Amino acid sequence: MSTVAKYIRFALACWKLNLAGAMEFRLSFFMTAGMMIINNFVWIFFWQIYFHRFKLVNGWDVSDVMMLWAVVAGGFGLANVFFGNADYIGNIIVTGQLDTYLAQPKPVLLNLLISRMSVSALGDVIFALLVFGCFGKHTWSGMLKFSIALFLSMLIFVFFSVCVQSLAFYVGHSEGFIGQELLVTFATYPTDIFRGMTKVVLFTVLPAGFISYMPIGLLREVEPLFFGAAIGVVMLLVFGGTALFYRGLRRYGSGNMMGMRM
Amino acid sequence: MNTLSAKSLFSGKAVKYLSVGYITVRNNFVYLRSFFIRSWFLLVILFIFVQLWRVTYQGEGNEVIEGYTYEQMIWYLIFAEAIILSSPRLPVKIEEEVKKGDVGYQLTRPMSYLLYHYFSYLGEAYVRLIVNIILGSALGLVLFGWPRLGLGLFGFLIVSIGSFTVNYLMTMMLSLTSFWVEETRGLVFVYQKMLFIIGGLMLPLEIFPGYLQAISEWLPFQTVAYFAAKAGVHFEWMMIAKMLLIQLLWIAILSFLLRVVYQKGVRKLNVNGG
Repeated sequence: MSTVAKYIRFALACWKLNLAGAMEFRLSFFMTAGMMIINNFVWIFFWQIYFHRFKLVNGWDVSDVMMLWAVVAGGFGLANVFFGNADYIGNIIVTGQLDTYLAQPKPVLLNLLISRMSVSALGDVIFALLVFGCFGKHTWSGMLKFSIALFLSMLIFVFFSVCVQSLAFYVGHSEGFIGQELLVTFATYPTDIFRGMTKVVLFTVLPAGFISYMPIGLLREVEPLFFGAAIGVVMLLVFGGTALFYRGLRRYGSGNMMGMRM
Repeated sequence: MNTLSAKSLFSGKAVKYLSVGYITVRNNFVYLRSFFIRSWFLLVILFIFVQLWRVTYQGEGNEVIEGYTYEQMIWYLIFAEAIILSSPRLPVKIEEEVKKGDVGYQLTRPMSYLLYHYFSYLGEAYVRLIVNIILGSALGLVLFGWPRLGLGLFGFLIVSIGSFTVNYLMTMMLSLTSFWVEETRGLVFVYQKMLFIIGGLMLPLEIFPGYLQAISEWLPFQTVAYFAAKAGVHFEWMMIAKMLLIQLLWIAILSFLLRVVYQKGVRKLNVNGG
C-alpha cells in the first residue's frame, strides 16, 4: 500500500473514532450542532431584513450574501470537523502535550490536526448545505464551483491557524493571537464594504477576503485573477504553515508530561 | 410604632441587598483590566458595522434612514451592543448551583435567592457596562467627534436599569428550568438569539418590515437593547416615560412568572450530602 493510501486510511479511522466519541453523548451532540444552525440562521434573518429594506450593498445582492454565509460556514465547519485541533496547536505546544503525538509513528502535523472533531462545526456544515439548497445554483457547474469554494475556504481556515498557532514554538503563548474567530468575523461580510488599508489587510495578513469574495469571484462568475490568487494563497498557507510548524518543532522541548490518547 | 419597625425592616433589607451589589461591583473592579482586554470583540464588531452602514448610507443617498442619521445609527449600535455584552453569564452560574446542590446553601441564607442574584447581576452588569461604553464611545468619538446626543446618555442609563432587570428576569426564569431539565443552555441560547433578532440589537426596529415591528412591540425583547439604545440616540421625555412604563409592566409580569417557576422548582429540590 502506498504511503498516501496509508495516511488516508489513518485519517478515515481517526475521523470515524472522533464521530463515535461525539455520538456517545447523543443529546449534547444534537443540541450543540442545532444551536450552531440557529446561530447562523440569526444572521440569515438579519441579512433578509437588511435586503428587504436596502436591496443592494455595493453591488452584492441577497443571494450573494447568502452564498457568502454558505461558503464561510461550510469551510469553517469542514475545517473544524476534520481538522478540529488547528486552533488549539499553540496551547498543545506550550502545555507540553505535543509529546504524545511525537511518540506515535504518524506524521505529527496530520495526527495533531485530525485528532479532534468539533461537534458544533457539524451544524455549520449542515447549515451551509441548507443555504446552498435554498440559494445556490443547482447545476453541475454550480455544485462543482461550490465544492471548490468550500475546499479552498476549509484549507484557508486550517492552515491560517497552523501558521498563527505554530508561532507558539517561537514566542511561547500564542492563544491570544488572531485566530479563526477573527477570520470568520471579517469573512462573513461582503468584501466590498471595506476599503483602503482594511481591504489590503483582508487580502494579505488576515486572508478573510479570499473567502468572502468567493460568491462574486468564483460562484457568480469565475474571475481568473481572483481564482488564481486564491489558489496561490491557499498553496502559500499550506506549504508555509507546514514549514513553519516543522521548523518550529525542532525547537520544541519536551515538558516531560505524561499523556495518553484514547 | 408598627410603621417605624416596618420602615427599619425595609431599610435593613435594602441595605442587605445593596451590599450584595456593592460587593459584586468591588469584586468585578479587580478584573477591570481583563474586561478591557476581553472587550476587543466589541470594537471589531462595531468597526465592521461602521463600514456596512457607511456603504448603506452612501448607497441610499439619504442623510436620514428611518429617523436615524449615520452618526445616530452607529451610536445606536454602540449602546445596544454595550447592553447585551454587559449582561452577566447568569445561566452558567445557576445551572451549576442547581446541579451541584449549592443552591441548598443559598436557600439557608437570610435573604431571597432571587433578589440576591438580582443585585449581584446588576453589580456585575454595570461594571461591564462602564468598560463597554468607554470602548464604544472611544470609537464614536474618533469617528464623529463629540456626540450630539443631548441628554441621551442620561436616558440610556435610566432605561438601562429596566433593560438589565427584564433581561435578568427572563434569563433567570430560563436558567431555573434546570430544576427540571439537565441542560438549559439551549433555551437560553434561543432567548439570546431572539434578543439579537427581534430585540433590535442588530438593527433598530424601525428598519423591520411592518408586520415584524408589530409583533416585536407585543414582546418583551424590545425592552432590553432597543429601548436603551433608542433612549441614547433619540432622547425625549415622553418617549422615555413610555419606555419606562412598558418596562415596568413587563417587570411585573415576569417577576410574577419567575416567582411561580422558582417556588415550583424549589419544591422539587433534593440535596444529598452535606
